[in-house]
Amino acid sequence: MSLLHRIEHPRDALAWEGDMPTLGRYTAGIAGEKFFRAIQEHGQFLGTVCPICEIVYVPPRLYCEQCFEHLDEWIEISPIGWVHTFTLVHLDLDGNPLPEPLPLAFIQLDGADGGLVHFLDEIDPEQIFVGMPVEAVFKDPAERKGSILDIAYFRPV
Amino acid sequence: MSGNRVAVVGAGMTKFVRRAQETAKELAWEATHLALESCDMTLDDIDAVIIGTAPDAFDAVHMKSEYLSDGCGGWGKPVIRGYVGGGTGVFAPIQGWYHVASGLFDTVLVVCEEKMSSCQPHPQGAFLTIFDHTTERPLEPNLLWIFALEMNAYMNRYGLDKRDIATVAVKNKRNAADHPAALLGDANITLEDILNTEVLAWPVQRGDVSPVTDGAVALVMSAEHVARRVTNKPVWVEGVGWTLDTAYWTNRDLSYPVYVEEAARMAYKMAGITEPRQQIHIAEPYDPFDYKELHHLEGLMLFDKGEAPRAAADGVTQRDGDLPVCPSGGLLGVGNPIAAAGLMKVAEIFWQLRGEAGARQVPGSPKRGLAQAWGDLMQVGTVIVMGV
Repeated sequence: MSLLHRIEHPRDALAWEGDMPTLGRYTAGIAGEKFFRAIQEHGQFLGTVCPICEIVYVPPRLYCEQCFEHLDEWIEISPIGWVHTFTLVHLDLDGNPLPEPLPLAFIQLDGADGGLVHFLDEIDPEQIFVGMPVEAVFKDPAERKGSILDIAYFRPV
Repeated sequence: MSGNRVAVVGAGMTKFVRRAQETAKELAWEATHLALESCDMTLDDIDAVIIGTAPDAFDAVHMKSEYLSDGCGGWGKPVIRGYVGGGTGVFAPIQGWYHVASGLFDTVLVVCEEKMSSCQPHPQGAFLTIFDHTTERPLEPNLLWIFALEMNAYMNRYGLDKRDIATVAVKNKRNAADHPAALLGDANITLEDILNTEVLAWPVQRGDVSPVTDGAVALVMSAEHVARRVTNKPVWVEGVGWTLDTAYWTNRDLSYPVYVEEAARMAYKMAGITEPRQQIHIAEPYDPFDYKELHHLEGLMLFDKGEAPRAAADGVTQRDGDLPVCPSGGLLGVGNPIAAAGLMKVAEIFWQLRGEAGARQVPGSPKRGLAQAWGDLMQVGTVIVMGV
């Protein structure tokens, strides 16, 4: 068989399928547990502060990645921030067109050195702009599970 | 010895547990933070970071070392991941050694982490695809099959009984009772306890096997001029070695680990060791299964082929024996968070040679020890020899 002679269909060669049957079970971690409990129970964002590097971590971290100190100063963070950047998603993971383009943004939270990637809603996608002020909309307390999806979306302030 | 002299100057580890609430990063940070603290260093003193961690599937995170890097002190630094499966925990400090011995870096962190509880329903699932997809997977093998076949080959070659092998599990679980980080330490466990555990794949019983574990271990390694400044008890890396046997396990003699012998020969040559039985005072061979400790002791040429079980029965490998083996409690006792377990062995040699092993301290001020691990497709041997 030359390099120019290729198998043109999988059925032309012996082939079979197999999977790697594992599921991931993740923990939120020591800092993450506190962050998600506060969202679930109080509809509130928490962050940790590194007083040495003057960094406010949101989502919070147990240690400062820059100076490696243990972080135990916790502060409440406003649910308000601004759109650092955004995209409009047109296709789902299988490549099928979505009924409506889905606005997705990196939201820089006020008073924090980081932010969250999340959906935007209650807005015409045409109107979204970088720098736009937005706020978190939490799900109804009964529906919250201690997940990032306890935040339904962000909307314009 | 080739290259510049390199010493281990600090070590730290988390407790080894069945299921950690901490994220993998948080586990890594805890071990790394402790290692830095142990030698009064901060991240400012670290020039590069070596991360050792076994299959991505265990933590269920692809690009696992990149994910772990901030917990390993890698922010803004040169970072590399070493990965030779189960051999990783001893390969990572070998990489640490050549990063420093080359003269490229003065001080490096070596961090190994595994959070196997993330992998459900069992980390075995991730191993199913290591078998050849054409000749073996249709039989639906799991990892225990290899070990059962290998253990049986070893037993038959030398006419060994299950009792000859289970003594290793008893010794290591008893030794682990003195390890503050151990998962399965048990000072009172007996041979009968091991022999009465359920059969998984004959001759392997549950008591012969190390447990699925979460944990992290970290070392600080420095060039001589730094080591002499930060500690009066540097533990020098005297030799390193690693080799791969064929990937076809059906083309190997399963009763003898050639890959360990070749790695040991490389390390001994570098360390100037000509009589390992006289010149090695303490050994931490890889013991994910009890027969593997015996198998590996023979591969390390510390006992003749087929003779390690006799030595174990005679008490030679006990903590107060002529050649203490796995005084830490090994993987069978301390636990087996794959990469972290191998590095735990290196940390144990570090603590033993410094006289800092507490209740686990072997008598007689040992001057030289080795740690060894095994992995990849069951065909890698990794060996490090350290001395004071």
